[in-house]
Parts: sequence; structure tokens; C-alpha cells
Amino acid sequence: MPPRYLLRRLAQVLPTVAGLLVLNFCIIHLAPGDPVIALGGEHGDAAYYAFLRSRFGLDRPLPEQLLTYVANVLRGDLGTSFVHGRSVARVIAERIPATLLLVFAALALSSVVGVGLGVLAASHRRRPTDTAVNAVTLLGYATPPFWLGQVALLLLAVGTGWFPVQGMTDARGQRAGLAHLLDVLHHLALPVLVLTLSELALTTRLVRTGLLEAFESDYVRAARAKGLPEASVVRHALRNVMLPVITVIGSRAGMFLSGAVLVEVVFAWPGLGRLLLSSLLSRDYPVLLGMFLGISVAVVLANLITDLAYARLDPRIRYQ
Amino acid sequence: MHCRRLTVLTLLLSVVMVQPAVFSARAQDQPVRGGTIVVAIVADPGHLNPAITTSGATHAASELIYNGLLGRDDQGDPVPELAENWQVEQGGALYRFRLRDGVKWHDGKPFTAGDVKFTFEEVLLKFHARTRASMGALLAGIDTPDDRTVIFRFKQPYAPLLYQLDATEAPIIARHLYQGSDPQTNPANSSPIGTGPFKFVSYTKGTEIRLARNSTYFKPGLPYPDALVMRVIPDLSVQVLALENGEADFLWELPGPLLSRITSDVRFRTVRTGYHPGGSNCIMTMSFNLERPILKEVRVRQAIAHALDRQAFLSQILFGDGKVAAAPISSEIPWAHAAGLALPRPDRAEAEKLLDGVGWKKEGEGPRAARGVPGIADGTRLSIDFLHFPAFAKYGELVRQQLGIVGIGVTLRPLEPAVFAPTVFKDRNFDSNVISYCNGPDPEIGVRRMYHSSQISPAPFTNAAAYRNPRVDALFDEASRTVERDKRSRLYRQIQEIVVQDLPYYWLVETVSTRAWPVRCAGFKAWTGLFAEGAFCRR
Repeated sequence: MPPRYLLRRLAQVLPTVAGLLVLNFCIIHLAPGDPVIALGGEHGDAAYYAFLRSRFGLDRPLPEQLLTYVANVLRGDLGTSFVHGRSVARVIAERIPATLLLVFAALALSSVVGVGLGVLAASHRRRPTDTAVNAVTLLGYATPPFWLGQVALLLLAVGTGWFPVQGMTDARGQRAGLAHLLDVLHHLALPVLVLTLSELALTTRLVRTGLLEAFESDYVRAARAKGLPEASVVRHALRNVMLPVITVIGSRAGMFLSGAVLVEVVFAWPGLGRLLLSSLLSRDYPVLLGMFLGISVAVVLANLITDLAYARLDPRIRYQ
Repeated sequence: MHCRRLTVLTLLLSVVMVQPAVFSARAQDQPVRGGTIVVAIVADPGHLNPAITTSGATHAASELIYNGLLGRDDQGDPVPELAENWQVEQGGALYRFRLRDGVKWHDGKPFTAGDVKFTFEEVLLKFHARTRASMGALLAGIDTPDDRTVIFRFKQPYAPLLYQLDATEAPIIARHLYQGSDPQTNPANSSPIGTGPFKFVSYTKGTEIRLARNSTYFKPGLPYPDALVMRVIPDLSVQVLALENGEADFLWELPGPLLSRITSDVRFRTVRTGYHPGGSNCIMTMSFNLERPILKEVRVRQAIAHALDRQAFLSQILFGDGKVAAAPISSEIPWAHAAGLALPRPDRAEAEKLLDGVGWKKEGEGPRAARGVPGIADGTRLSIDFLHFPAFAKYGELVRQQLGIVGIGVTLRPLEPAVFAPTVFKDRNFDSNVISYCNGPDPEIGVRRMYHSSQISPAPFTNAAAYRNPRVDALFDEASRTVERDKRSRLYRQIQEIVVQDLPYYWLVETVSTRAWPVRCAGFKAWTGLFAEGAFCRR
């Protein structure tokens, strides 16, 4: 990959992120709602709310607030949370590991299982296996994650006692080392299962459709005519099918986060999704802006990485 | 003789059979030391300083770390806490508190009167909305003649002080940690030091707050467990599942649809209370905007009240977890609550008669039309909007349904709290709404703001109706200066009699919370923020 291409793409990232920064600020501040009510509670007097407004700089004109915010971000300062009273960067950073663990585990599982089920369905076209895979994945896709989560809790946690109902660790026992890791994995199982079921259909359908199309192409026919075993034929076809699948998986990273909001609430998983929801309800502008900025950068970079990954997967693609 | 023997034998057998049950019940209530209690909380508190906020999330999670000068008993009356006794002087304009000897902060430093003075002057009166709004303008000064005496001087007699000194209304924080710093960003807010029954251990953001037993707590023998964990579980139904699965030992509230499942389960104990750290003794109240021509007319407001069946609100929305409001002041403040008032009863015929009398006539389908209503053009339809939090959507649906029957059109406008407050109190852009008005521990704190004309302001959750009545203003002013409870009680009764006639609001239902814990646990006090001070659980 020529360095000039990479530099050019990176140069495109900067104005995109800057535009998003201003857009996010305007959307949040122009939306109806007053953060000092969420902060001050219901019983304050007018002077108290005025005091809070001035303390957080909310009494200043919006353009001035925007300039101050942009200048602070350029200095690497995302501000101080209204609610937490601490640096926004710290508040967000504390929640990233839990969400990354949940989202990447579900993303990895839904990709691997999705590809596997897609291959299975394509290989058994119009047979009961194909119908069953389609039915299960579409049901998972069509069911709201919060409802799926509640059902999973009732059946697999309360009903059988196999899994815990909530949290990332056991509240009663503080474990370390391997025991801690196993405790986290035990708590991770149900949320990942629910998020995976919600996201499985897309990958499965893409792989199935792509493979069925590939099975009709000349190179597959030639491979079969040469007497290659069916597994090798499928592997061969799968590589060509993976390009759109990778694109979709990359672009779903942002969507996964939105799905994670509901799953995090149901399973009391202490991640970014819950922080986003609580900050939205309390109108914690600095945290919301910090999170939107982080998500914007993540989506822009995910797209860039997806583009760069094309060349590895398809040698016909050349960068200019 | 034979008969007597049989009786004695029967008695003996009864004693033998009953005894294990009695002993078992006694053993069940016998405190057990050690173990960990897990408390489910609905939101991450953000920080653990209850003196700088009235947020229910922060108070629920942190009050066990602190104490107030006074506490509350199960009737809501003041009991000694950091102050061992007190005197009310100058007719209620001066309060003198004697502090306990030997109380220490969790870091070992001694607790003194200076901590109390600092907490009030530098923190509570600046940052705690209720304390600031209620006593800020009336407090002349706080004196500390020695390390164990605190004197509050007011500009005039101030009645509710003793009800505002618990850990919810006035938690005392350590001067040596906060002096010279910004209380809102002080690092101690996330790793607090208090005098309370539990010491802070760790705070994992979004997950849990871990506390340990304060072995030098000034109440001998308390608390019982070695550790207490506040676990953040945002979904109330998941909290119930955690209780059933043995992952949680105490729930602050039960969601309506799952209420009967837990209350009827012999494995759990439940207690109903009007107390909540975020706001006690709340009444779901319909406000009428008296500045709007349609609702200015008292007969229209009376018609609305007659058209509403409040029992339906209680059963269909709260699943019976509350009561139909019997007076403008909550029954959870029994001395101020005016029992026996004649509030409008559900009476559709009376509602229709009142509307006809004003000139709102039924003309075919849909809302009534104005025919000779003063100040309103003929043909105008009788239609009002109704603002509510999204969480209160069911109130809106019932209001629309019940008022529709008598020919009043209702347009629902669900608004998030942060939008609702400026729309109602600043822009005054509404006809009617529903608000959970919390009366607090004393009417001076949570009731006055609804009715006093000085409280018609952009400040949220004040006088939404824009109600003005000089007689009511004067009675409230007199009540705030009156220390004797009997006299205050009479004044609040007069106020309630007047506002029931004027009907600037209609008081729908009193809401309560149902606390729940497993029967293997005991000693929880549902009515205070120090709810787990004497709690214990068997494993």
C-alpha cells in the first residue's frame, strides 16, 4: 500500500472529525432540555439554578461555548462531567474495557458462527437445515435485544441457575487472577449470547447468498470438474464471498454499540452504552460530546481499516 | 380428674410443639455478624457526596457512609444521631445542639462542631438544593462556642429545622478534607470519609460501591455485616430477578407489574414507605394552568375532578402500591395531613352539569363547544393539553380516556424531565400536566412551593398552577414561624381547606415505594437513608 494513499486518507479523516465535532455540539445544545434541572434536582430556587448555569458556563452565548469547547479539545481536554465532577476522558475511559469486551466478543462470535451457519445453509440449500438456520437467525434478528435478554435471564439464569442475572463480577466474592477471569467470562456469557443472536442473521444471510451465487460461477464449476473435494471448493468460494461480509462487519461496529446499550441495561453491564443513556437523560453535555467524538472517530477509523483490509483479501484491488 | 390430666398433657404438648417455632422466630431476629449484604441501586451515583446534591442516586448509594446531626424514627420524628440532645430557644429562632463525645471520622480524626459549621456554611447552603432553598435566606448564623456545641440562629422562628437534619437533608462532611477546595470536584467525593456505620472501600464506576463495617462506629455493636455492596442494576425487573436468584439482598423499590409476585412470596419480606432519598412523601398531582382562559374557571376544574376516577389510577398504574390522595398534604406527614376533607368524588353527571352551567355544550361527537362562555369565542372546542414525563404516560392515557367521556378533549404531550421543567415553569406553555410533587419531611420544604404566590417562578417544580391567594400566603408564612406542632397542624388544615375549594391542582394518588429483602435478612429500616445500619443476613 503506497504511503501517499494512507496519508491522503488520514488527511480526509481530520476535516471529517472536525465537522462532526461542531455538528455534535450544535445538535446537543440546540435540542430541548436543561441540564441544570437534572443536576440541581427539583427543590432548588431560581438563584440556585442560575448559580449552576453560571458554574458550568451554560449562561454564556452558544458560539462562545463552542469556541471554548473546540479550543479545549484541541488541547486534549474534553472537559469535566456535570454529573461525575471528574474529567470526561477518565469517565469514558473507565467504561471502555467493559464495552470492548462485550462488543468484540459478540462481534467475533457472530462473525464466526454467522459464517459457519451461512456455509451450512448454502451447502444444504432448500433442505430442512437451510430452513432451520434461516428461521433461527431471522427470529434472533427480529426480536428486540432487551426482550431477548429478559427471556434469556428467565430461562438460563433464574430458571436453571446456570448463569448470573447481572453485572460483570460476583458482588459477594472479590477474586483475582484466573478465578477473576472465569468469573467475568461466566457473567459475559449471557449478554454475548443475546447480542450475538441479534446480529447473527446479517452475516449468515450474506454468506449464504454470496456462496450460492459463487456456486453457480465458472471457477467453482471448474474446481468441481477437476475433482476437488467439496470442502476445498467451499473454502475457495468463501474467500471471494468474504469481501462484502468484512465490509458489513466493519460498518456494523457502530451499530453494535447501539445494540449494546440495551443489552448493557438489561444485564447491568457497566459499559459505554449505559453511560451514554444515563448522560443523555441527565443532559451531561461534556460526557455526551466526548462519547460522540469517540464514536465518530471510531467509525471513521473502522471504515479506513476496512478499506485497507480489502487489499489483503482481494489481490485485484490496487490503491492509488 | 382424667379430663384435667388430658388438659395438662395437651398444654404440655402445645408448649413443646410451639416452642421450636418461637425459638426459630427469635433465632431469625437474633442479629448475625459477618457476611456481605448486596443492595441493588438503580443508577450509578457519579459521586458519593450527598451534601452537594439532592440526587436520589447519590443519596441512596452514600448515606450509610455519613450521619446527620439528627436521625429519623419510623414516624419521621427526630432522634439523636451526631447530636445527643438539643434545645429550642427564643420561640424557635435559636437551636442549640450538644454533640456526642468521641465520634471519629473514618480516617481517625475527631469529629467536632467545626465540621458541622463548615458543612452548612460552605457546602449545604450552597449546593444542597432543599437546604439552600428552605433555610438559606432565614439563617442568621451558626456559632460553635466549643467543640461539642453548635448553635443555629435564625432571623425569625423557623419551625422545620429538626426535620431537616438527617443524612438525607443535611449529611455532615469532614472539614479537614474539604476546606479550601471546590466541594464539587474534591477527590474525596469519589473516596469519601464519613462518620457513618460503613466505611468506603472502593467505587467501580458503573458497577458497584464496596463498603466495609466501621468497627469504631459510635453506636455500640453496629453494624453487623463485614461488608456492604451497592450494586448498580438499572432495570427494576432485573433487580427482582437478582433478588430471586440470591444475588441481591435489598431492593429500594419493586416495579408495579412484579409487585404481587414478591409480596406474595413467603421467601421475601416487603415494607411500604413514603420515604425516598430523592424526595419523600410524593403525590401525583394534576396541575391546572390558571392563566389559561378555559381553566381559570373553577367550575371547569371541579368538573375535571369529578370526571376523574382516582381509584383507577391507583389500581391500573400503581398496581395498588399507594393510596388515593385524601388531602393536598401527604398522609405520610400525619400531623399536617388534613384527614376527612371532602375532595370531589367521581361523578360523571355532576361533571357534565358543571360544564353545561359554564356554557360548554355537547354538540355531536368530540369535545364540547363554547356557547356563551365568558372570554371564549363561541364554537371553541373544550380541549386542553396535558404534559407529562414519558414515564408517566399511563396517567396521560387515563386522563384522556376519562375526560373524553364528559366531552373534554385532551392532547397528550410527553416531555423528558429536562424539557418538561422549562416548558411548564419558564415558558408556561401548557394547560395541564401531572407532576410528582414530593412533600418532603415537612410541608415547609415541599408543599409551600406549590401554593405560595412568591413561588410562581421559572424555578422547576414550584407553583405550576400560578395560584395566588393572599390568605393562603399569609397562612403559610405564619406556619413557617410557628414552632408548636398543634398550631402548625391547624394552620396547614386551614390551608388545605381553602385549596380544596379553589382546586388549583387535583391530587391523584400518593405514591410509595415497596422495599424488599429475603426472610433470611432482618433489621432493615425502610424509612431512613441509614437503612442498613442494623441489618444482617444469614447465609
